[in-house]
This record gives sequence, C-alpha cells and structure tokens, in this order.
Amino acid sequence: MNETEQIRSKAKELLDSKKVDCVIGYERATDEKNARPMFAYNAKDADRLIFDQTCRHNLVRYLLNRKDKVTGIVVKACDSRAVNLLINEHQIARDKLFIIGVACPGLVKTDWNKPGDKLRDACQLCQQRTPVIYDVLIGEAKKVEPPADAYPDVAAMEGKSVEEKRAFWEKEFSRCIRCYACRQACPGCYCSECFVDRLDPLWVGIRIAPGENEMWNTIRAYHLGGRCIGCYACELVCPVNIPLSLLNRKLEKEVMKLFKFQPGLDPETPQPLATFQKDEKLGVAE
Amino acid sequence: MSKYISKKDLNSWLNKVRDNRRLVAPTKVDDLILFKEISRVEDIVSDYVNTDLSPKEFLFPPTEVLFSIEKKNGGVELTPARVEKETVIFGMRPCDAKGVVALDKPFLEDPTDPLYKEHRDKTALVGISCLKACAECFCSSMGSGPDDPSGFDIMLTEVKDGYLVQVLTEKGKALLPDSTLSESGEAKPKAAEVATVPAKDVNVKLRQNFEDPYWNRLADRCIHCNMCSYVCPTCYCFDIRDYPNKGKTDRVRSWESCQSAGFTKIAGGHDPRANKGTRMRQRFAHKLLYFPEQFGVSHCIGCGRCVKSCPVNIDIREIIQDVQKLGAKGE
Repeated sequence: MNETEQIRSKAKELLDSKKVDCVIGYERATDEKNARPMFAYNAKDADRLIFDQTCRHNLVRYLLNRKDKVTGIVVKACDSRAVNLLINEHQIARDKLFIIGVACPGLVKTDWNKPGDKLRDACQLCQQRTPVIYDVLIGEAKKVEPPADAYPDVAAMEGKSVEEKRAFWEKEFSRCIRCYACRQACPGCYCSECFVDRLDPLWVGIRIAPGENEMWNTIRAYHLGGRCIGCYACELVCPVNIPLSLLNRKLEKEVMKLFKFQPGLDPETPQPLATFQKDEKLGVAE
Repeated sequence: MSKYISKKDLNSWLNKVRDNRRLVAPTKVDDLILFKEISRVEDIVSDYVNTDLSPKEFLFPPTEVLFSIEKKNGGVELTPARVEKETVIFGMRPCDAKGVVALDKPFLEDPTDPLYKEHRDKTALVGISCLKACAECFCSSMGSGPDDPSGFDIMLTEVKDGYLVQVLTEKGKALLPDSTLSESGEAKPKAAEVATVPAKDVNVKLRQNFEDPYWNRLADRCIHCNMCSYVCPTCYCFDIRDYPNKGKTDRVRSWESCQSAGFTKIAGGHDPRANKGTRMRQRFAHKLLYFPEQFGVSHCIGCGRCVKSCPVNIDIREIIQDVQKLGAKGE
C-alpha cells in the first residue's frame, strides 16, 4: 500500500471506532495539482485523503482550534516538531491526539496550477525526514545525509554590510501588505491577542507602510526565536514572496550556537529563552 | 474600420503621458507582476495574463491620510488631504475595470467619500482586453467578460504590431486625441475563452442557507488571514486611527478585512461575528448577496486572484457550486 492508501485506511479505522472526532489530512486542491488541508469527519470523507510531495501545509496549527476534541492528524517530520512545541508550551494535550506520522519524501516547489518537480530549498537542507513524535508511522523512514552547511542562505546574508542588509530588508518589507497570512499559518503564533491587533492602547500602528511593516515582521521573528521549528509555512503562504525563513533561520542558528538547542525535537526539554538558570553566562559580561 | 495605434506610437504616447502625470502599469518585481509607478516605459510588461495584485491600491491606497488636524490661533484647523497629480493606469484587464465600477458604488454613492472621488476624478483607466485567460478566471459568469469595456476610458485590443483602440469617455478622448490614431481594417481578434461558474441566482440560495452547517465546515480549513480581501479588486473595508505627531494629528485609514478576528468587535467586547464560520459566510454573502442586492452589481468580478493566492484553497468558484447544491430551505 502506498502512503495515501495507508493514511486512508488508518483514518477510516480511527473514525469508525470513534477513537477520534476528526482526522486532519490533505486532499486534492481545486487546481487538481496541489494539495489542500482537509478535515475528515467520517469514513466516506476519508476516501478523499491523499499524500504526496505537494502536501506542503503544516496542519498542526489547526489543533489549536480543537483543544477539547480528540483529533487525528497527518504530520510530516517538520510538522511533528510543531506538535512537540505546542505540547511543550501547554497548548495541546498529547492524549487528545492520534498522530499519523509520514516519513517525508521532501516536498516539491509548487505554484498554483503548476506542479513542481524540484525539491524545495528548505527540503534540500532538511536533516530529518522522519517525524519525531507519532502513534503510527507511514512510509519508510529514511536517513538523509546532513548537508555540509545547513545555513548557506544565512551565511550569505551575514556576509553583507549593515547598509546592504538594511537596503535588502527595506525592499522586501516594502511589499508587505500586512495580510498576516504568515502569522495565521504559523503553529507557533497563537497569542490570543497578537501585538499588532492590540488597539487600545495601540502598540503598532495600522498603517500598511514601511515603518509598521518592518516593526511587524521583525517583532514576529523575535517572538519565534528559539521556537520556530522550521516548517517554512510563513514563507510559503506569503503572497508577495518575502523570504521570512531567512529571519527565522538566523535566530535558529543563534539559539543553536548559544544553547545547543533546536526546538520541537522532544516535548519535554525546557526552551532556553523561557528558562532561567543561575549559572548561565552566555559570554555576556558579568 | 477601427481606430488603431502601432506599438511604437503607443510607447511614444506613454512617454508623453508620463511627462506630467503618474503612469502606473504592470511591471516585474522579482517573480511577481505588479502595478507600479513607471519611470521608464520599457519597464512595462505585456506578456502577462493578469497581475498578482489588483490596481485597487491606486484608487483606495492601503494607507492614506484623510485629513490633518492642527491647533492654530486658538482654534482647530482641519486640512483635507488632496490628490496632487493625475494618474493614468495602463494595462488593466476588464475584470479590474469592472472592479472599479463596483468600488465606485459604496464610495461615490451618497454619502460620497471625497478623497476616493478625487482619486477617481484624477485617474484615467486604459485597459487591454484579454485574448488569453487564466485557468482560474471566471469573469464571464460575474457580469463582466474578457472584452468588456465597462469602467475603462480607453480599451485596447492587441493585433499584429499594434492595438485596435476604443476611446470610451471624454476623459479618454482628451488623453488620446484622434490625431494620435490611424485607421485599420484589421478584424477584432476573438476574446479569450473563459471558464464558467453557475452563479445565476446564487444570492437566493445564500439567503436560504444562511444557517447551514456548511459555513462552519468550510471555516475548518480557513486560516483567517486577510489575504483574500487584500488581493481582491473590490474589497473596501478599512480601519481609521489618529496619528499624533508634534502638535499635528493625521487621521489615517488603512485596509482592514472582515476575516480578521477583531474586525466586528464593538465597545464592551461583544463580537457579532465571533466565530470563524460566521466570518467566512460574511465574505461570500457580501460578495454574492448583500452587495448585489444593495447596489445592483456583483461584488465578485471573477478575476480569480483569491482562488490563486489562498494558502488553503478556499475557492469561491467551488463555494458557488456547493451553495447551489444546498437545499432550498426556508428563509
């Protein structure tokens, strides 16, 4: 059985036995080429589930809307780290989940109506194709050779002068329309009131203009420092192609350097930026 | 015989237009095709089916100052914002011009929005009819079409080495005088074939199925970003805030969206559209039921941008089909 058939059969079993209220997975989108998220509530729905290299969405975000119901969910390796992140941050409970992990073949670059054949940049740098948490694993666990340099894009940015970096980000952020798709797609962005939605007092202005755009994108990146699990969901949904992963990966790299910590690998390890240890020095003057 | 302009003459005309006006046209920005102010006519692209974002922002900017408030001579002085320069938007598609026709309804009907009116009065729309359609275009089902001239001041249709020209308004005539044009016997090429959607009487079905569980199921998948509203050529919701700065205050309006969680929150904390399903229904009922019933035209013009950009494939064409299949329940 291929991945699609295995996911369908598992989902039917879970729904028929009422072990879960719903299975969140993927179905074919209306362009008949891409995938889109799907909520299967019964065995008949489950026949529409699919899995292939176009299944790009991180579905874990949807679990935040279903905290009181037992939910089955299809996760790839990067998505599974988001499950750990949200358990670690006490946003979802392990016993409300049935996790259908899929050994990820890597995703292809797709566009609306245009299926790709080349692996996404993110997937070429991916070091872990097998989910880190699951109840059942579908597909064959593959070991991938880690790339010699995991941060070539970040290093290229670091090599630029302050002025060049500023000019680069000013240009990128100038296109932002503040649609907040990046936030809405992110499993780590779940504040009940986001700082940009705070209107009284107004924390960030409502203007869709350079100053506010920069404030929005920078603060969001900082809020994900040591928390971003690297699924690239934000960058994938951006309608004006802002390379948001560059910001997130820079912070990921720094946190790794300072704390030897990568978020989402397990549900228990406390997050360094949310933990205080008496003997911590971090090379800062005492 | 029809009026005709060669590509060469069109370019020199565009250069002249640019002399004392703001010329806005499709241009390449990284991997996107966007309407931008053009400084070199050579930067205008012509090999696009439609632009990634609509030209709405040049009539209803994402952010603009409405007026400024200043304390002066013991009183308070209000200075309304003015639109200084005339604008020509070149290369618009018929769907986007129909979008402007729809935008005009809420902004120009009584009470008129003075700043929008000024933008509109000082902007000329020059369009190019569609000989090719995107897979997600459905303009013909929404009261427009690939060669629909409504909303344009001038419409061009591409033929060999030039364009057939329809000058449609006085504004168009002043901008492109007859002396610039020649005559051509070339036949008008066939307009693009556009996919259809069963939109007829969908308003009736929407009204009948206001409480249907369909909306909550659809909202399962929606991530409630504002993207559909911001790529849409006709969405016109906005928010207003005051920006004080050294004794002077600007009253600013910026785009907002009915899809964002706090949009309908009112004083005291109540939110009449507190859940995702009701927000989702609002978007489609506004497009296909409330707006057409209030203003007599569809609020979706079938450009397909939301279909193409939605991160989770909330597809208005599919919703129209689904709603048509829902039963005829009581109102």
